[in-house]
Amino acid sequence: MSKVVEISPTTRHEGHTKLVLKVNDDGIIERGDWLSLTPVRGIEKLAIGKSMHQVPKISSRVCGICPIAHTLAGIEAMEASIGCEIPEDAYLLRIILQCANRLHSIALHNILSLPDMYLPGTDTKINPFTPEQPVRSVALRIQRIREIGQTVGEIAGGEAIHPSNPRVGGMYKNISPRAKAKIYDLAKEALPLARAQMDFMISVFKNWEERPMASVANGTEVEKNAKFGFHDQGYMASAPLYASTSLDVDPQWNPERWTEVRPWDWYMGEMEIDLEDASYPVGGTTKAGAKAWPQMEACTGVPLYDGAPVEVGPRARLAKYRDYDRKGAMGLQIARQMEFPDCLYAMMEAADALDTSGSVLADEIPCGDGTLGWCANEAPRGTDVHLAKVKDNKVQWYSLLVPTTWNFPTCSRALEGAPWQLAEVIVRAYDPCVSCATHMLVVDEEKKVVAQKLVQ
Amino acid sequence: MVLGNYKKAVAARSTDSGILSASQDGGIVTQLFAFALDEGIIDGAIVAGPGAEPWLPEPVVATTRAELLAARGTRYTISPNMALIKEATRSYGLDKVGIVGTPCQIQGLRKAQLYPLGMRDVPDKIALAIGIFCMENFPYQGLETMVEDHCNVKMESAVKMDIGKGKFSVYTERGALAQIPLKLTHKYEQPGCHVCLDYVSNLADVSTGSVGSPDGWSTVFVRTKVGDGVWAKALAAGCFETKPIEEVKPGLDLVTKLATEKITKNQKTVEARASFGLKADGSAKALRNPYL
Amino acid sequence: MANKITVGHVHMSGCTGCLVSLADNYEGLFKILDDYADLVYALTLVDVRHVPEMDVALVEGSVCIQDETAVEEIRETRKKAKVVVALGGCASYGNITRFCRGGQWNQPQHESYLPIGDLIDVDVVLPGCPPGAQAIRNTCVMAYLLLRGTDEQKALAAAYLTPLMNLAKRGTEACGCDLMIDVINQGLCMGCGTCAASCPVRAISMAYGKPAIDRDMCIKCGACYAQCPRSFFNFDVINEFESITELIGAAMGQGGE
Ligand SMILES: Cc1cc2nc3c(=O)[nH]c(=O)nc-3n(C[C@H](O)[C@H](O)[C@H](O)COP(=O)(O)OP(=O)(O)OC[C@H]3O[C@@H](n4cnc5c(N)ncnc54)[C@H](O)[C@@H]3O)c2cc1C
Ligand code: SF4
Ligand code: SF4
Ligand code: SF4
Ligand code: SF4
Repeated sequence: MSKVVEISPTTRHEGHTKLVLKVNDDGIIERGDWLSLTPVRGIEKLAIGKSMHQVPKISSRVCGICPIAHTLAGIEAMEASIGCEIPEDAYLLRIILQCANRLHSIALHNILSLPDMYLPGTDTKINPFTPEQPVRSVALRIQRIREIGQTVGEIAGGEAIHPSNPRVGGMYKNISPRAKAKIYDLAKEALPLARAQMDFMISVFKNWEERPMASVANGTEVEKNAKFGFHDQGYMASAPLYASTSLDVDPQWNPERWTEVRPWDWYMGEMEIDLEDASYPVGGTTKAGAKAWPQMEACTGVPLYDGAPVEVGPRARLAKYRDYDRKGAMGLQIARQMEFPDCLYAMMEAADALDTSGSVLADEIPCGDGTLGWCANEAPRGTDVHLAKVKDNKVQWYSLLVPTTWNFPTCSRALEGAPWQLAEVIVRAYDPCVSCATHMLVVDEEKKVVAQKLVQ
Repeated sequence: MVLGNYKKAVAARSTDSGILSASQDGGIVTQLFAFALDEGIIDGAIVAGPGAEPWLPEPVVATTRAELLAARGTRYTISPNMALIKEATRSYGLDKVGIVGTPCQIQGLRKAQLYPLGMRDVPDKIALAIGIFCMENFPYQGLETMVEDHCNVKMESAVKMDIGKGKFSVYTERGALAQIPLKLTHKYEQPGCHVCLDYVSNLADVSTGSVGSPDGWSTVFVRTKVGDGVWAKALAAGCFETKPIEEVKPGLDLVTKLATEKITKNQKTVEARASFGLKADGSAKALRNPYL
Repeated sequence: MANKITVGHVHMSGCTGCLVSLADNYEGLFKILDDYADLVYALTLVDVRHVPEMDVALVEGSVCIQDETAVEEIRETRKKAKVVVALGGCASYGNITRFCRGGQWNQPQHESYLPIGDLIDVDVVLPGCPPGAQAIRNTCVMAYLLLRGTDEQKALAAAYLTPLMNLAKRGTEACGCDLMIDVINQGLCMGCGTCAASCPVRAISMAYGKPAIDRDMCIKCGACYAQCPRSFFNFDVINEFESITELIGAAMGQGGE
């Protein structure tokens, strides 16, 4: 007889979510629903009728951890709709920004993941905030890497959180030669730090994977399954580092392969919770007798690619562009670490190529005729697709398929087979960003319009 | 207290004739920034550079001596130097920022450092804030009227403007001098200046102006630890010729007198604003007081 | 330190950018947590699921009044926190959520978002999107001094926080228009340009010495007005900028002479 247990809210990721889990007599998850409870701010709907210049500034604010991805995806969706090519130096500044954001974001993600892990060679769980060594040195290294990422973000983007410099048509300002040198020097400084951090994190994740048991924060030891956090879904990525848009000669994402399912069709129906564990950290699971209704409660839709959920993010990128295939929750965590050095090499390369006296704003910025344009930006946690139609400078239609919405259903699949007490570990591996994942379901009519336009 | 806290007050002028040739008074601002730039004390300074129209200043981030020299001299109209304070630390890549400003701009700067709500990572990058004395400022169109209508000088042909001894003076390319009494200029003053309670940039690291010292010399207040450090180094490097302020005429007495007059007058304006309007019950309806 | 204050981060409908801004004190974040404040609640960072008793609640985001959990949580926060700080434009003024109007799946009824001050009493507001890292740091240090400091430190902290408390009383609406309405219209603008520098979406440009606001860009974060030296200017605090900067520097363990 399977039982239902609910962990609500989940912790150590961004936003509000919960886990509703059907488990067997041994406590193994048979079916898991991970769903967002973050209220839907409705960015796609509030965008309608607003200026194409303002909307990306608003979409930046769906997430403060990867605001740069949302800004750039939003802007480039507008540019794709109006058919605006930006100068090369503006593009290079955007690449620098993208790298800066990914650097800080991976490091921040480390802080959220560490408390589930052990110091290699010990049975000590890691509290990233402890002043004790060696953890404090690691924590300070993480902060320095973040500081470098955020500082580069400020220089190239005006602000580290919600960049102000990017705009439709390019950038407001190019940077000075001094600023360019500073970016280069910071990247140089970060490289050995990022490598050391990568090596440390990979050893931590491998160590965890090799342990037969894992303890939950209250001290209970649980046996792990062999295929912890595995799933059989495919991968989706649009570029190794940056993005693809509908203006590309060879676009790397295809709106025709995308379908949207509503939570009603995807998540579990109403259920009574009949398993509770008062000792589950911290504060216990939801009390038995309470009701859960994922279909009704979920705040996001479920985007599918070729009719099935896909995984997006570091592993998807490495799988598509570098033949990486290490499965499971830790395989994903390790892939994320492997992106560390690349952020810095790409940053230096772009800085090198940048002409600080070049123009960074297109000579002409068309007003748009309602054509559909899209941008699939490779945000830290995966493909962030923004689609837009702009007419006479105003946004007519806007849609966001953010990384977390892609990953919600995939991660739910990856929960199967794991002991329920470790479900949060899987969630944190997949995606800690939830606020952004509140986008609308596209009605079929819109879908047809999308397809038609592309055929023409 | 009308002169603020200071560690030293002196009369000074730059020893560099290249700087003095077009500086307003003793070339203190340009000289001190040039020195700080050479020494690596600052990476650049926000100054009032040349703008799109004659005598209309445009704030710039100067990172070379040439850019500093191009910004010499007083423009009696608003140069919103604080507008670049954040950009200087962003696309310009400065870690040590210098800025010159009127007392109100230095107030904005210090508020930005203590309450950096929209000024992330700016507070600790301010390396040298030079304040200038300021009795009042004029909107550009006000200045234009004073120069072109009252003084009969085209803006393009003016080479220097000055306020002193109760007069507004305009010097032309051809060596002519046109003057009008200050009372004719009051109408054109920027309204926001009428609530201003600082004459000598009390919150700057170093503040300077012409009043108190002989022509071609400046009065200098060294106020903070930072200011003291830079000033001492600049003196040691021979950047300035100085005289004890007690020995020059008219000296600090005049500065104190003008500062007191300005503050007293403007304090009255602030108070008058409290009963500017009238409520139905006959009691006072106030305009907003920025100092609460 | 046993004498630390307890601080929580309450996440309403915000983007976590405000929390990232706190974390962007880098080494200073650890200094704050080591010496001054125990972080007793923050869904993003610590494993505590329900709002506990705390000295200071830093609330990020506005409240969707169609979401029962959110409404319950903000009421809980007021009950359990001694001092409530509206952290950032969304909590203080609604910010981008002022534009929300519902209609989006899967919860199309989520259409009304209110700044927290419309639902509970707020003690301190920190406008900006997000508020600068150092502004949050200063507020944390001052909150510590207010609750645990000597009498002299308490007085300083109270003086420092007063304008931010007054801003909380001023209301829950903010816009670039405030510069027109409460500064220029009031005859107070002197053209310093501080507002233009503080705007996170570059909605303000300076033309002939006065701010020009592009209202099609403004997101209503409140940074410009709060940062303007003619919105509030407390001589008793700002005149002491040198000693206060040193005090905060020393509290953060930064070098001094
Ligand atoms: C509006 C205004 C009113 C003034 N009123 C008085 C007064 O009542 N009494 C008095 O003694 N002195 C006053 N001054 C200061 C004086 O005119 C000189 O600016 C000061 O003595 C510095 O001269 P200097 O030779 O040391 O500087 P310089 O080497 O000539 O450099 C002057 C610096 O000031 C900057 N600057 C010029 N115009 C402005 C502006 N509008 N806003 C901000 N920065 C600017 C320049 O970019 C330059 O960097 C006033 C200045 C201004 C701008
Ligand atoms: S009088 Fe005051 S407000 Fe006016 S420009 Fe001078 S310092 Fe600024
Ligand atoms: S104020 Fe800005 S940074 Fe803070 S939660 Fe709102 S959108 Fe995010
Ligand atoms: S103008 Fe800019 S700073 Fe002012 S409220 Fe609007 S967005 Fe914020
Ligand atoms: S910050 Fe205030 S005083 Fe300065 S220009 Fe802006 S509105 Fe005017």
